[in-house]
Amino acid sequence: MTAKKECAKRLGIYLLIVFAFMLFYILCAKLMHQSHTVYYIIYMIFSFSPAIASLITRAVTKEGFRDMKLHLHLTGNIRYYLLSFGLPLICLSSMFLLPVIVSGHADWLGGFTFGNVLSNAFLLISFSAVQSIGLLGEELGWRGYMNQKMEPLLGTVGTCLVGGIVWGLWHFPMDISGYLDGNSTFSEVLVSTFGRLAMLTCFGTFLIWLTKKTDSVFPAVIAHFMYNQSQFTLTELLYMGNISEDISLPLWTDILRYIPTLIIAVIFIILLLRDKKKDIKDNIATI
Amino acid sequence: MTGLVYKEWKQNRWYILSMILCGAAPLLVLLFFHSQISDIGEAPLRIGGLIAGFLTAGALQMLVLRGDDRKLWGYWITATPDGYNGFLRVKYEMIFAMIVLFLFTLQCVDRGYCAFAADMGNTEVAEISGIAVLLCFVQILLRAIDIPFVYRFGSKKGSFVKLICMIVLTIILLALLFLNIDRLDTFFDSCKKVFSVQNSPLILSVGLVLCLALYYISYRITCRLYLKGVEQYDR
Repeated sequence: MTAKKECAKRLGIYLLIVFAFMLFYILCAKLMHQSHTVYYIIYMIFSFSPAIASLITRAVTKEGFRDMKLHLHLTGNIRYYLLSFGLPLICLSSMFLLPVIVSGHADWLGGFTFGNVLSNAFLLISFSAVQSIGLLGEELGWRGYMNQKMEPLLGTVGTCLVGGIVWGLWHFPMDISGYLDGNSTFSEVLVSTFGRLAMLTCFGTFLIWLTKKTDSVFPAVIAHFMYNQSQFTLTELLYMGNISEDISLPLWTDILRYIPTLIIAVIFIILLLRDKKKDIKDNIATI
Repeated sequence: MTGLVYKEWKQNRWYILSMILCGAAPLLVLLFFHSQISDIGEAPLRIGGLIAGFLTAGALQMLVLRGDDRKLWGYWITATPDGYNGFLRVKYEMIFAMIVLFLFTLQCVDRGYCAFAADMGNTEVAEISGIAVLLCFVQILLRAIDIPFVYRFGSKKGSFVKLICMIVLTIILLALLFLNIDRLDTFFDSCKKVFSVQNSPLILSVGLVLCLALYYISYRITCRLYLKGVEQYDR
């Protein structure tokens, strides 16, 4: 079997397992709605499903458990670790603040004092160092396995696009849970699903770049944690600014929310392609 | 580096895995005293379990430092490509991973318990993992102080030297306190001003980042002291 066919087979098995977990989550929705304990257990299993799927695939295809990118590789890579702390925070801040400022509501940002911003940023950074490990359940699967198998088949840009879409689709049970509980309409589900797809596809390029640069999934784990937690922190800071409940931003400002992640996607796709070109040149020079 | 990770895993895997048990300590305590529990929330007992788990985890983290304070091992590891820097880095990373594993288990168990309590009809049960996060930073700080002593003086002598240093430090602080007893009120007033409601989140967050920075500085200090320590180790 050629290397490409082998990759396709492994990728296929991996995706089948991951989406089986997703289906299981959707099928258990009713049961999860009835019991907090069942919800918690199934949610935890689902959160770790990409990692579980990668381990099962490695075992089934007799690939072995090498190259799981579980070394920290701190030496010489500190700048990438620092970037994994800082860039998601900057990106999310622009995503939240750009629509508010552009629509002329800068007065809503009363909670964003120097002290508040600094203390929240420091808290996020310190918590991400000790609490982000739960996201290893996702990163071990997506960046540590899926992208490695996808790249020989789809190329760098294809991996960023398809990998991001798969990653976004995997979150679909969470998006649809509101609709199943009767708390949101189907159109709201669609908006959140497509919004997440776009955001994660763009942000995923940064995580792929981090993983390739450091040969470790841990910077991606940290960046993923920072991305998730920054949203809560920024929402809290916005609520500190005494915004009345009936006020909302104009619809066109929604587009602005996508600009920072889009910029990140473009920058990191260029960097990934440049690195690939450099690798090819180096290989030719060695031959 | 893989070899060093393998060595640490083979040598200390039971200590590493015991972090899971330490993290489950609040639940184990509840199971142990289940006959005496009237309220499923029982926060004091859970916090007691958390502190017991925290202390046990700390003791176990120190045990992984034993066994490497041998002269022959010290010289041999210095001669390897990774050198003693690589060896110490893996030790620091392993202890950090143990702390993270302890916290992760504790949070998983605690959230699971709160979900179970909610199913039993008590939705008011609060998570105790918020305290655990702060305790983990205390643990990071304590290990940052412990490890240089252990590698500079060996595990037995190191704890003794650390104890003496702590006693000396306490005596100095007490002496300073008694010498300035008439200015104590001014000191407490300025402390109150610094640790005000507005400042405390900033001080806390800076403190947490400082703990992480101190852990890294501790690694650099241990690297500087290691070879001096090796000279004093037993064969």
